[in-house]
Formats: sequence, structure tokens, C-alpha cells
Amino acid sequence: MATTVQDVSPKPVLRYRIRTGMFAWMLHRLTGLALVGYLIVHVWGLKAMTDPDAYNYLITKYHGPLFKIGEFLLLGAVIYHALNGLRIVLIDFVGWSPNQKKLFWTLGAVAAVLFAVGGYPSIAALLDYLGS
Amino acid sequence: MQLTVKIQRFDPEKDSAPHWESYQVEADPMDRALDLLHYIKWHVDGSLTFRKSCAHGICGSDAMQINGENKLACSVLVQGLAKDGGTISFAPLPAAPVIKDLVIDQERFFDKYRAVMPWLITDDPAPEKERLQSPEQHAVIEEATKCILCGACTHACPSTWADPDYLGPAAMLKAYRYVFDSRDSEAEERLKVVDSKDGLWKCYTIFNCVQSCPKGIDVTRWLSALKRKAVTTRY
Repeated sequence: MATTVQDVSPKPVLRYRIRTGMFAWMLHRLTGLALVGYLIVHVWGLKAMTDPDAYNYLITKYHGPLFKIGEFLLLGAVIYHALNGLRIVLIDFVGWSPNQKKLFWTLGAVAAVLFAVGGYPSIAALLDYLGS
Repeated sequence: MQLTVKIQRFDPEKDSAPHWESYQVEADPMDRALDLLHYIKWHVDGSLTFRKSCAHGICGSDAMQINGENKLACSVLVQGLAKDGGTISFAPLPAAPVIKDLVIDQERFFDKYRAVMPWLITDDPAPEKERLQSPEQHAVIEEATKCILCGACTHACPSTWADPDYLGPAAMLKAYRYVFDSRDSEAEERLKVVDSKDGLWKCYTIFNCVQSCPKGIDVTRWLSALKRKAVTTRY
């Protein structure tokens, strides 16, 4: 038998079955990147604060429906990233690994409540916009 | 029950890349996944290559990717993998060089294993009989001693996929097993190995290792304990 050894296996991340833990991790990465992207846009927007007219113009734009949807997504990303970060801390530094799945779904419920309460103003503003 | 068995084949003498081949197999729900491979090798295509030794979940030879997850082929039943008329897929463990078909090159895996010094190190003089440990002292490491080094966990870990030099769960579980062993006195050296850029801190608690372990070891739990030990003793 030939003993040629090659690294030929295709990208495993595309073929591996995704379960709770891996899903949580992927979403954590994704929301982390999204939040970094948001911060860059946010800081760039603050630059307009040096000029009152430019600032008012920007703030008017931020009240548009697209930004309301964006606010909603931002809230979701922040809540998820914060709570999942807490979950990882509890697992790593308190030793709650055996309960990791329960922990994921419990914090998921907490996230849903926070999302509903925190997202209400955005939804209301959006519905208001659609109604007018 | 009638099954379609899909196997990722690769012959280094003929192929430049792996490809999938399908086989129709008549199976019993109580057959093991390994029995399907045996049937194909013995009755359909003798060139099919895979590792197996004991076939009873002890030697750890037949870890492979079955239906998209790392499992021991001898430790999973067909009924848990597919319904009648369904498909079961077999591929080699991911993120390792493939020698042929389902056989991977394990050299890298065992290099990492050796890096954590997986043997008892102690300055105490050898006693007349064995070195004793109380049941309480053993309970701390008992689960970790059940590892059979099949490689399912390390090759299921996204950190291994991204960084081939990452020590991986199997090697670091072994480090845990000796660092927390009451008879061992070389915790410091082992912690130095795992507390590195290729060690503990690339474990992002993804739990693929726990999911894939055929011995049901809560690997992440013990690696977390090792993280706490590294933080409290080295910083």
C-alpha cells in the first residue's frame, strides 16, 4: 500500500452537524463581528457632533424605519452577546458545564423577555411610521 | 431494513481528491454502524479501508464521522442513525490527513498527546506495592481516566479545524487527569504546556467534544477545571 499522506478532507465546519453548543458559539462570533461593525459606524456618526446642522440631519435620518429595524437587530445582538458571554463565564469560571444546554435555553428565555421589553419602543415607532 | 450507505472514498494511488460512493445494504436495526462497513468490505468492495480492532468500544480505533458527527462505528446502532430506506454517511475524522478511505494519519494527534507528558511523574520513592489513592482522591479524575484516545473529540473541535497545532480536548483531558492526580507531582510542567497559545485558551466551550465522546466524558467540564487551576496557580 502506498503511504502517501495528504491533507485532503474538505472544510469540516461546512459538514459537521450543528448542535446547541456550536450554534451558540457561531452566533456569538457573528453578533460579536456585527457589534464591532456597528461601533465603527456609530463612532463615525458621532463625528458629525462638531457641526449642529450635520448632527440634526443625521439624527433625523436615524428616526427613519430602516434605522428602527437596525435598532431592533442591535438590541438583539447586544442581548445575545451579553447573555451568552455570561453563560461562557459561568461554564468556565464557575464550572456549570454539565448544565450548559439548560443554561442556554434559560438564558434564551431571559433574552426573549429583555428583547420584548427593550424592543417595544422600536416596534411602536415602526408601526407608527407604517400607520401614518 | 434497506439502507443507502454513503462512504467518502479516497485511494492515494488513484485519486487526487476524496469522493462519495453509495452502496445499498440490507441491515437489521440492531446492527452496529461498523457491521455496515464490514458487510461492504466482505461482500461488495474488498478495497474499502477502515480501522477497527476490538469492535466493542474499548480500543478506540474506529472513530469516524458518521452522519456528520464523530462517533465510534462499533458503539452506535443503525436504528439510532436512520429509518428504513434512509441514508447513513461515513467519512474520516475531519481536519486530519487521510491515508486511505476512512483511515486518517494519527501522528499529529499523538504528538499532542505526548506533549502533555501523559505518564505519572513523582519524586516519591517507589513503594513496595502500588501507589495508593483514596476513593475520594480517585473520584476527582475517574471520569477523565475513561478516555480511550479515539480522537473523536479533538477532531470534532472547531478550534482544531482552524489551528492544526491546537492541543485539543483529548490531550488536555489527559493533562487534567495527571494535574489532578493526588500521586503526581509535576502539575507545574503540564500547566506550562496547556497554558499557552495552542492550549486551554483556544477552548471556546463549543461542546462538540462532549457531544462526540463515545465514553460520555464531560470534557469541557474538566478543561474548565484545568483553566481555573492554570489561572489560580500561574497568575
